[in-house]
Amino acid sequence: MTRMLASYRVRLPLALSVTAVSTAVLLALALGLQTLHNLREDQGRNAQRLGHAMAALLVGALRQDNVWLAYSLLRGPDGADGNLIWVLADENGRIFASNRPRTYRLDQLLEQALPGLEAVRSARNDAVQAFEVEGRPEIRRLVHLALESEGARVGDLFALLSDRPFLQRFYEILLGGVLVTGGVLAFLLPIGWIWGRRIVAPLVQLADCMARVGRDDLRTLDCPVATGDDEIGQLGRCFTAMLGALSEKAQLEHRILQSERLAAVGRVAAGVAHEINNPLGGMVMAIDTYRGGGPADARTTRLLDLLDRGLHQIQETVSALLVEARADSRALTPADFEDVQTLTEPRPTRCGAPLTWRVDFEAQTSLPATPVRQLLLNLVLNALKAAGDGGTASVDISATDGRLGIDVENTGRPLPPERLDRLFEPFPSRRRDGEGLGLWVCYQIVSQLRGSIDVDAQGALTRVRVRIPLQPDDDDA
Amino acid sequence: MRRWSRRAFVAALLKAGGLVGAVRPSSASDTPLRFGVTPVILDDDVGFLKRWSEWLAGKLDRRVVLVQRTRYQEIVDLLLRGQLHLAWICGYPYVQHQGQLELIAVPLWHGRPLYRSEFIVPVESEAQAPEDLAGRLFAWTDPDSNSGWLYPRFRLDASGFDPDRFFRRSIFTWGHARSLQAVANGLVDGAAVDSYVRETLMLHLPPLAKAVRVIERSPLFGFPPIVAGPALDPAGRRRMQSALFGQATDTEGRALLANLNLDGFSTAGPEVYADIAAMAEHLGRSRRS
Repeated sequence: MTRMLASYRVRLPLALSVTAVSTAVLLALALGLQTLHNLREDQGRNAQRLGHAMAALLVGALRQDNVWLAYSLLRGPDGADGNLIWVLADENGRIFASNRPRTYRLDQLLEQALPGLEAVRSARNDAVQAFEVEGRPEIRRLVHLALESEGARVGDLFALLSDRPFLQRFYEILLGGVLVTGGVLAFLLPIGWIWGRRIVAPLVQLADCMARVGRDDLRTLDCPVATGDDEIGQLGRCFTAMLGALSEKAQLEHRILQSERLAAVGRVAAGVAHEINNPLGGMVMAIDTYRGGGPADARTTRLLDLLDRGLHQIQETVSALLVEARADSRALTPADFEDVQTLTEPRPTRCGAPLTWRVDFEAQTSLPATPVRQLLLNLVLNALKAAGDGGTASVDISATDGRLGIDVENTGRPLPPERLDRLFEPFPSRRRDGEGLGLWVCYQIVSQLRGSIDVDAQGALTRVRVRIPLQPDDDDA
Repeated sequence: MRRWSRRAFVAALLKAGGLVGAVRPSSASDTPLRFGVTPVILDDDVGFLKRWSEWLAGKLDRRVVLVQRTRYQEIVDLLLRGQLHLAWICGYPYVQHQGQLELIAVPLWHGRPLYRSEFIVPVESEAQAPEDLAGRLFAWTDPDSNSGWLYPRFRLDASGFDPDRFFRRSIFTWGHARSLQAVANGLVDGAAVDSYVRETLMLHLPPLAKAVRVIERSPLFGFPPIVAGPALDPAGRRRMQSALFGQATDTEGRALLANLNLDGFSTAGPEVYADIAAMAEHLGRSRRS
């Protein structure tokens, strides 16, 4: 129940209903009370007017002792069911006539029939005044009219007023209020329910989205939320922005982790290469020395050749791991890009992948030509290989914001995400084609030139984006 | 037309002033016949009175004007002074002025020219006899009424009471129907009324008649007659008599009689009023001479 009440789907129509009901009830009550007040005033005024209208005839009836005339006058056209109770007293304070003859008997002492009237009689106040009769709770007010003839008091007319005739109308108004409320409720409840649902729907959607944060990958989280102009839309927009920021942060963390891992791999590789190179150099030198010592028999010569080739293969592999983007080569010029373009020109025809070049490089740079050429060459060859049959590849060289930009794109087989994560690592386990060091070398070169390299895969399209400062610090090797 | 709706009836009852119904017959040759009506009949049905006067005018070939006044005495005075030709009055004023008034016709009720006086009390009253009303409130009809004044006073006098002191207080209602109302509404504890008016009213207003109870009936008296005053010449009297005596044989006349709850008019003589005359003499109350 509490859970149910907590839902806006219930609370909204409930709140609407409570508002409608309380408004209707208060309105009905206010109207009823106002009507009651008006009716009381009218009743008082009517009694006064009627009393004055009858006064002359009643004086005549009193003076002629014509009880029937007074009685038929007081009884009026309504008979004994009239709302007003009239009591006419003669000069001796005895009841002369009333439209309730059974209750207020002819000749009865006024004070005996209606205690307190004697005081009213002597007070001579012709305004409507409060009056109560013991045992007659419905009588609330009275109007008193002193009847005079030639200045002499001949009798008194009293109108006893009660609320009884109005209560019916008061209740009718209240009943009307209740009925109207019922009608309004019948109309408002479904509207409130639908409205509540409409208000709640985007909130529920938002809540669902929030629940997915932390459970699903932020970068792939696809969450439609309301973006209207209202507060919920604002909430939705803020949530989307927060989601974006979170996703960015996650991406950043991911990149940092990746580059840290690659740096560690680089350090290990460099250390291992260094440790291998020293004994390797010794072994190669020992073979040379042995050969220089004189001719050997055929079997030894074949063995030495085998050792020599094996050692050189190790040396090549190790030196490939030890990428050195040395600053001692000449500076990069636009002609270097043309060279690479020329070098890779025959490739597209062989692989069947059309390669488009766009070179927009006019800047002066102190970047060394050799590593950049190697980087570009590796990237282009890689792209062409990935494009395969039917794929396309493009290269975009630019120089903006003091940085050299190399964007290489290719279409072809989509890159699985798990490969994307370990793309730059040497000898990726599942890679069967190539020696597996191309992108590793690229990464090492870019890192040494203090640049950045990103791979972005969207379906069949893979894009490698390289940014290298045009003026790297010379002292850093 | 809803003739006897309660409201209409009550409103009509309250009309105390003189009601004049003027009728213009086809050949209005001479002065209209002025006919006084008193509450010995239900004189509040203006529509009926108009139709009856029209019927009479047709029979008499003379315009008929019905004249009503609050009290019997006013009608009797007008009759005696020659301002009325005819009047339907009570037997009591007739016996008081028998020398100046001529009996024209006596209505027949239940086939007889007779009626009674009845003591009535509210239906819930515990009174069983007029004596039980001692010290109570009482309504007289009219000081010129037999059933509503002369007989009840005679009855109390015969029982040894002073009619003027027997009740704590008494009032005049100036009509039998009003006396019935005064009793039914609890204004008074008892009244004496005309049995014909009470029974006729019971036909028209059953609830009112049921609110009262008859505790004692008087002997039979002569029914209130239609009498002629000095203003009506013998020829006019004869024509009037023939019109009234023939009413029961006339279709429209019968319908009017049915409305009056009467059977017709008879030629009963002054002797049917002997008892009333005796009572009046006994009480020595012939105030109007």
